[in-house]
Amino acid sequence: MSEALVLSGLGKDFGKRTAVKALDLVAHRGEILGLLGPNGAGKTTTISMAAGVLTPTRGTVEVGGVSLAAKPFEAKRKLGLVPQDLAIYEELSATQNLRYFGALYGLGKTKLAERIAFALATVGLADRATEQVKRYSGGMKRRLNLAAGLLHQPEVLILDEPTVGVDPQSRNHIFDTIRKLRTDGMTIIYTSHYMEEVEALCDRVAIVDAGAVVALGTVAELVATHAGTGIELELAGDIEAGRAAAAAHAEVTVTDRTLRVVPTAGLAPVIAALEATAGITLVRVALHAGNLESAFLALTGKALRDGAKS
Amino acid sequence: MIGAAIKKDIWLLLRDRGALISLFALPIVFILAFGSMFNTNTKGQPDDRRPIAIAYPANDARGAAIERAIGKTQGFSAQHVATPEAARALVVSEAVTAAVIVPADFDPATGHRIELSIDLAGPPQAIGPLQGAIGGAIMRAFAPVDVDALPPVYEAMTPPGLAKPIEDISSFQITVPGNAVLFGFFIALTTAMSFVGERRTGTWRRLLAAPVSRYQALLATLVPYYVVGLTQLAFLFGLGALVFGMHISGSVVALVVLSMSVSLCAVSLGLMFAAIATTEKQLGGVGSVVLLVMGLLGGCMFPRLLMPPGMKTIGLATPHAWALDAYHAVLVRQGTTLVDILPSIGALVGFSVLFATIGLVRFRFES
Repeated sequence: MSEALVLSGLGKDFGKRTAVKALDLVAHRGEILGLLGPNGAGKTTTISMAAGVLTPTRGTVEVGGVSLAAKPFEAKRKLGLVPQDLAIYEELSATQNLRYFGALYGLGKTKLAERIAFALATVGLADRATEQVKRYSGGMKRRLNLAAGLLHQPEVLILDEPTVGVDPQSRNHIFDTIRKLRTDGMTIIYTSHYMEEVEALCDRVAIVDAGAVVALGTVAELVATHAGTGIELELAGDIEAGRAAAAAHAEVTVTDRTLRVVPTAGLAPVIAALEATAGITLVRVALHAGNLESAFLALTGKALRDGAKS
Repeated sequence: MIGAAIKKDIWLLLRDRGALISLFALPIVFILAFGSMFNTNTKGQPDDRRPIAIAYPANDARGAAIERAIGKTQGFSAQHVATPEAARALVVSEAVTAAVIVPADFDPATGHRIELSIDLAGPPQAIGPLQGAIGGAIMRAFAPVDVDALPPVYEAMTPPGLAKPIEDISSFQITVPGNAVLFGFFIALTTAMSFVGERRTGTWRRLLAAPVSRYQALLATLVPYYVVGLTQLAFLFGLGALVFGMHISGSVVALVVLSMSVSLCAVSLGLMFAAIATTEKQLGGVGSVVLLVMGLLGGCMFPRLLMPPGMKTIGLATPHAWALDAYHAVLVRQGTTLVDILPSIGALVGFSVLFATIGLVRFRFES
């Protein structure tokens, strides 16, 4: 499979703070590559560098074999960005928005008209093309945001949280559009806080933490390698004391009020240790089946969905 | 690309009622208000000379001479009243600007003087010249020649080195450029708001992700507002000429080049504002105050000619003052050419370079 987007040793410092260390990532042609990471992991910084919005402190970006640093215009023509913000003019109509964004890519009048018609039809807004965007629903605005990224037929489309605040109908429409674009050969980089979206859409997932890719693979591979199985113990009281007590008899990760344990010599010593610890009450015991979320937790030690962008 | 940006921004502006009002409607209101307040050109207009009451004893020849002298003084009309009390009451009720009361025993040598009844609490800039003019009229009444036969004793002349102004300069000749410059510079605020808004909504990120250079991205925002600024000035001067009877006494080419320099300076200032401010709230608050103070010091609201020397000099630290001096020359002085206003244009270009340099150095492309 050929490479559509290659990030090599990509890093960004903001003053003394390092947002992205030295990130390596390859997206293959025609795949949907998910980018998952907790707050501050560096996802938005990474895709901003990939899209040419931020200048990297180190490393390189290649889009369709073209170096972004050496030939920025050529590389940018191969790449579309759908920012997390609704980067559209609400006072204008969809057509007026797309005419402007298309002109930025040097599309001629006839070609631009064709591409506007295609983009609007793709996102299901053809019948509302001349209406002022401020009258659109949140979901329709998101779809127009997506359409603006498609106008110039990019080889690689970067979607940054494209479904934030949309209704289920619009979200499904966006999913269908993304799947169709993938079928047509487009490479999609997809960041989201919604684990189920990534599981449903992405061919491969890169988990990013502290400015580096900590795991990369299909959802099944990540779950098999990192999620593991275990037992969830919900505690009331001093969770840190509970973690310390359980750690002598199991591998432990902590989520909110719950310890996830993989016992080294059976569950009984763990329970006994917890019961012997003052200030702790065991509320619930459950068997944990591995999924992408547990893989994510195991890799980063953090919950994903807290609603803010990183 | 720039063409598409101009189209886009003009569409946005047409749908922004607030911006349209502040750029096009408010200046007209100000021009009308200031123009009417300071209008001294009364040709063909009802008598709006300042009435001066005069009271003197019956058959007092000196009082009658003073009345005639005041009546012949430009800008004054004499209003004879029967008693000193009635004259003073007219001053108190503001029915007259001042009252001249000639006592029966008038004799300056013995300390029996004429009473000038006037509200001394008025602004010194108005009270001083008023006293001087009335005093001059009184002195003329005592000239050895009869007031009616007294020939003009001086002739106002424009000295060599200054182009002769047109006759009957109307207040609109002053208030149209004053407000055009004041509100013309408000395009700086609109420009800066546009930058901050583009950053806030994310369209700036989209622009940076497109195959355009960063300086093209800047121009895509600056050029549309430069065009809007020029349109605003053309609209205001066109309106001034067609509706308010403002004359263009000098070269039209000079007027156009000057207006281009003013717009350039305003959008450069907008770039500097955008580089310094981070929110629209900051711009709306601090930016408007800065522009108003610059306009005030530059003479947009109060002519610099009437300011104390120190303030006149301080005013030159604003582009507004240079722009107004040049507009005054082009509109009022006959035969003013582009060469005559080159120093002002040079100053405006200098300000533009300064603002743009600060703006470019501080502008955060990647914020």
